[in-house]
Amino acid sequence: MSATIEITNVSKRYGALSVLDDISLSVKAGEFVVFLGPSGCGKSTLLRMIAGLEDVTAGTISVGDQRVDTLPPGKRGVAMVFQSYALYPHMTVAQNMSFGLENIGLPKGEIEGRVQQAAATLEIAHLLDRKPAKLSGGQRQRVAIGRAIVKEPKAFLFDEPLSNLDAALRGRTRLELAQLHARLGSTMIFVTHDQVEAMTLADRIVIMHNRGIEQVGTPMEIYRRPASRFVAGFVGSPAMNFVPLKSVTGNGRTLTIGTDGLGDISAAFQLPSSFTPEGASLGIRAEDVSVLPDGQGGIALKAEVVERLGDRTLIYGHLADGTKLTAETDGRSEARGGDTLQLVLDTTAIHLFDAAGIAHHSEGE
Amino acid sequence: MSTDQTTYRPEALTGNRTLLAIAIVFSVVMMAPVAWLVGLSIKDNKELMLGTESVFALPYTLVNYVNILYSSQAFGWFFNSLVVAIGQTTGVLILASLAGYAFARLEFPFRRTIFVIVLFGLAVPEQAVIIARHQMFNWFGLHNSYIGLMLPGMSSAFGVFLMTQFFKAIPKEIDEAALLDNASPLRIFWKVLLPLTLPAQATLGIFTFLHAWNDYWWPLISATRKEMFTLTIGIASSQTNFAQSEGLGFLSAQAVFASLPVLIVYVIFQRHIVTAVSGGAVK
Repeated sequence: MSATIEITNVSKRYGALSVLDDISLSVKAGEFVVFLGPSGCGKSTLLRMIAGLEDVTAGTISVGDQRVDTLPPGKRGVAMVFQSYALYPHMTVAQNMSFGLENIGLPKGEIEGRVQQAAATLEIAHLLDRKPAKLSGGQRQRVAIGRAIVKEPKAFLFDEPLSNLDAALRGRTRLELAQLHARLGSTMIFVTHDQVEAMTLADRIVIMHNRGIEQVGTPMEIYRRPASRFVAGFVGSPAMNFVPLKSVTGNGRTLTIGTDGLGDISAAFQLPSSFTPEGASLGIRAEDVSVLPDGQGGIALKAEVVERLGDRTLIYGHLADGTKLTAETDGRSEARGGDTLQLVLDTTAIHLFDAAGIAHHSEGE
Repeated sequence: MSTDQTTYRPEALTGNRTLLAIAIVFSVVMMAPVAWLVGLSIKDNKELMLGTESVFALPYTLVNYVNILYSSQAFGWFFNSLVVAIGQTTGVLILASLAGYAFARLEFPFRRTIFVIVLFGLAVPEQAVIIARHQMFNWFGLHNSYIGLMLPGMSSAFGVFLMTQFFKAIPKEIDEAALLDNASPLRIFWKVLLPLTLPAQATLGIFTFLHAWNDYWWPLISATRKEMFTLTIGIASSQTNFAQSEGLGFLSAQAVFASLPVLIVYVIFQRHIVTAVSGGAVK
């Protein structure tokens, strides 16, 4: 079972403190949506408002065709997996999974059937008689998901469920979650501050910042065409390079973009007439900054730190004017800190951000 | 490097002989009155009238314990103490749990103020309110009744404080998970949170039981009829003459008899008592 989720003009205030301001969002049935943002941006609050664990100061929330912000959590048809899993410590795994079903008065036989089926799906059938204290972190995580599955909810809500797992287990569980979504086809909303989780799991990512939604899009839209300087800097590792603009000249599509550190760059842009270089910046990802072979002329970068990641090498350094820049090259690079390297930019991958942080993308993008 | 040095073992405190000696001295000081009491209880009364130093010499006898069966009201007092201690413990557990849950989890007007007022109960000594309480119980005709003996101990400020803190320590996500599981507040309290407070319940139950069993002050005031005496009052009333020069063995046997339930409770629940005293300092 899956349902749409409609969030319409929702705000949340604690007294004079505004946490979320006029949020509107439509989640399609069966869609996997990830709320991504830095700590304190309100993503967990929004999830908890959908769950009914926080009241809504203004606006409405609907699940399917039913308005739910007026209903208690248990009547909303959603299930939630908490960051801490929130398993009932004194109950066995089976009791944890069946508690919610007992509360809605399902017949015992059906409860057992659902628990067995979910346990088989999550490969935890052998753990049904154990208590949470006797389980590993990964097993507890599965039980928490199992507790959600047995309820056959209209939507699943995940509040940073992978953050308590170690790196290896997190990667594995991420994959299993994607498989689970493919199998169940349920609507899922997943809150995280981990961009890798967001990029790998989401059908669409909702980037939240400063009490509102900064951008909604597919992972690659968010990555390749960020709506703002905040999104560009937040998504992607290493973070996008930003270089202050000095001038923008030219007519038609091809512009000459003047900077101190990178010199003059020709790129295809269609900028609004209101765009001015004051306070604006040029953005380019490290992977779009290549290191030229020795002797070839380019943009000089004084390398400070070289990070070898195996398949690629990241070079952190500064340009002639002191602007910091990160470049990426292949894993076999022999560059070392203190070297001066020659760089070339992929001008089709350049972004311009005006003084307000609004993004403009190269026409080649 | 020398090889005859032994590895430092942090747990090997017994290696410190001075500490060990001090511990033994304190143990002897603490245990001597108990041993003395047990010794007196197994000596003939007439022998003890000549001098209590006879406790160190044979013969010993169980006649004082046999006499409890035939010539004392100790069994009746024992029963009274049992009823009062169990009743008071049950009452404290119910009231403190409900109040603790309310203070820790429910939103209601003046919650913090009421909690502070309850905590004042920790600071007010029983002696300060005893006359007023005596008068009130007199008006309601509660003296010389089980309910009269139990009621004052049921309003445990310490119990409410302990349970409130324990409920507060349970992560709120547990309640929230239960809310999403469509559980009512009463069901969340009964099926989810209350079972998690069992360690605190055990601690509070043991302390309340021990306190009620050993209580002397209130039963002395409230129970004036001999058949309503608790063991502590009953044994005190068994003192028949100045300095207890007669029947000392019998009195000691009654005291040992009175201590048995406390001893049993302590042995069974020792783990919880230790936990309570250490206050969960670690973990």
